[in-house]
Amino acid sequence: MKMKRIAALMAAGILSMSATLLAGCKDKGASFRDENGVFDPAGAVIGVQLGTTGDEYARDLEEKPEEGKKASTIERYNKGADAVNALKQGKVDCVIIDNEPAKVFVSLNEDLQIEPNPFADEDYAIAIKKGNTELLEKINGAIKELKEDGTIDKILGNYIGDDTGNYQYTSPEGVSRTNGTLTMGTNAAFPPYEQLENGKIVGIDPDIMQAVCDKLGMELKIEDMEFDSIIPSIQSGKVDVGVAGMTVNEDRLKNVDFSESYAKGVQVIITKK
Amino acid sequence: MNFFEKLAAEFKQNFIEQNRWQYIVKGLGTTMIITLLALLLGLVLGFIVAIVRSTHDKTCLGKKGGHILLRIGNGISKFYLTVIRGTPSTVQLLIIYFVIFGSVKVDKIFCAVMAFGINSGAYVAEIVRSGIMSIDNGQTEAGRSLGLNFRQTMTSIIMPQAFKNVLPALGNEFIVLLKETSISGYIALNDLTRAGTLIQSQTYSAFMPLIAVALIYLVIVIGLTRLLTLLERRLAKNDKR
Repeated sequence: MKMKRIAALMAAGILSMSATLLAGCKDKGASFRDENGVFDPAGAVIGVQLGTTGDEYARDLEEKPEEGKKASTIERYNKGADAVNALKQGKVDCVIIDNEPAKVFVSLNEDLQIEPNPFADEDYAIAIKKGNTELLEKINGAIKELKEDGTIDKILGNYIGDDTGNYQYTSPEGVSRTNGTLTMGTNAAFPPYEQLENGKIVGIDPDIMQAVCDKLGMELKIEDMEFDSIIPSIQSGKVDVGVAGMTVNEDRLKNVDFSESYAKGVQVIITKK
Repeated sequence: MNFFEKLAAEFKQNFIEQNRWQYIVKGLGTTMIITLLALLLGLVLGFIVAIVRSTHDKTCLGKKGGHILLRIGNGISKFYLTVIRGTPSTVQLLIIYFVIFGSVKVDKIFCAVMAFGINSGAYVAEIVRSGIMSIDNGQTEAGRSLGLNFRQTMTSIIMPQAFKNVLPALGNEFIVLLKETSISGYIALNDLTRAGTLIQSQTYSAFMPLIAVALIYLVIVIGLTRLLTLLERRLAKNDKR
């Protein structure tokens, strides 16, 4: 029964081979810093979340590199956190993402840092189906009121800045919710704008939308989905609004309408220390 | 704008503008590479495990003794089958990418091939084992009494018959494998499905890219089915005498 032994040996060989493959060694990535220590993402492997504005900026670096510079490579992950994870493991050289989530990710990972030179400024707003001017006007009205009475600033201050955790928005008592339900699509992996906590979606966007719904007398329903599904969901009427720290830009404006901006965002680059 | 003009405009936006069709072509290439390599890995793994398992079952099941290496091999194979068939392939892919190859910068296609190959191997193993077990013991006994050794009996008597029996089930597994690679997007690999969602994320229209991707998968599977039918027919030739 020689064959049996050979078969068993082969099985053992495959196992030991896979074991040696597992024992990898660390690989130091190339440096993308100039002599002043400024990080330049040209030529680097850039991690982004699929469909975000970071994805768009990275796409410019990949497809239209500046003269004399190397083209970058994009790796598009389903979640910003996955891209950050890949950065920690050295699979990408940097991650382009919004400032506030970047701060959260860096605070949770000691080996990461935010590059001091910001990438781009942008406005966050609520996305609404094209042509739904009635809802758009109602939401704009509510946002204006909430800005004037300081609610939005208080909500933002609860999550961003030096004085966090001191104000939790709660609905005023006795709100009648007779005007129906407002369904909001979001991607709950974008702290502090939205994240899952004890199975509930919390953050700036849910709080602001709750405040908007309180003004409009509507019930708020939140649907969690992939970021790149939010705009198609608005277009097909699966959700009424998209609130996900969504930046207003031209490409998106062709497909959805945006409300008044409720917050400012900055795109930054995260790198490994 | 009538319906067809609208359709044409959408087609242009999704595939022609900014050369977006290139995503689909590149994605198709990635999907094919992953599928083919994973298929090979799965076949090799599957046949080895199936031979170990069926030899063990035929020779030492219910008996004391049996070769110690065969028993160890059988134990390892059983463990492999339990773990791989008991966990979702998405989780396996993520574990291979983020945990097993966590500290190294490896090629993502390699990760995907490992994940899908190891996954497919478990299913192929049980399919092939069912084929080997379906051949009557008398065939082995006849072969051995004619003076063939174990390997000769396996390769020239058992396997040819077993292969015919398992071909439909094996074809099924290939089709499943091809479609399963659509989860490669989880590790930021631009496969065919991810190419579709990528276009969707840039043009915000779901219909065109997703239908195109679905059609491409469908065409590949139809082609694969045709090939398998031809092979089956060819192998059945010497059955009809």
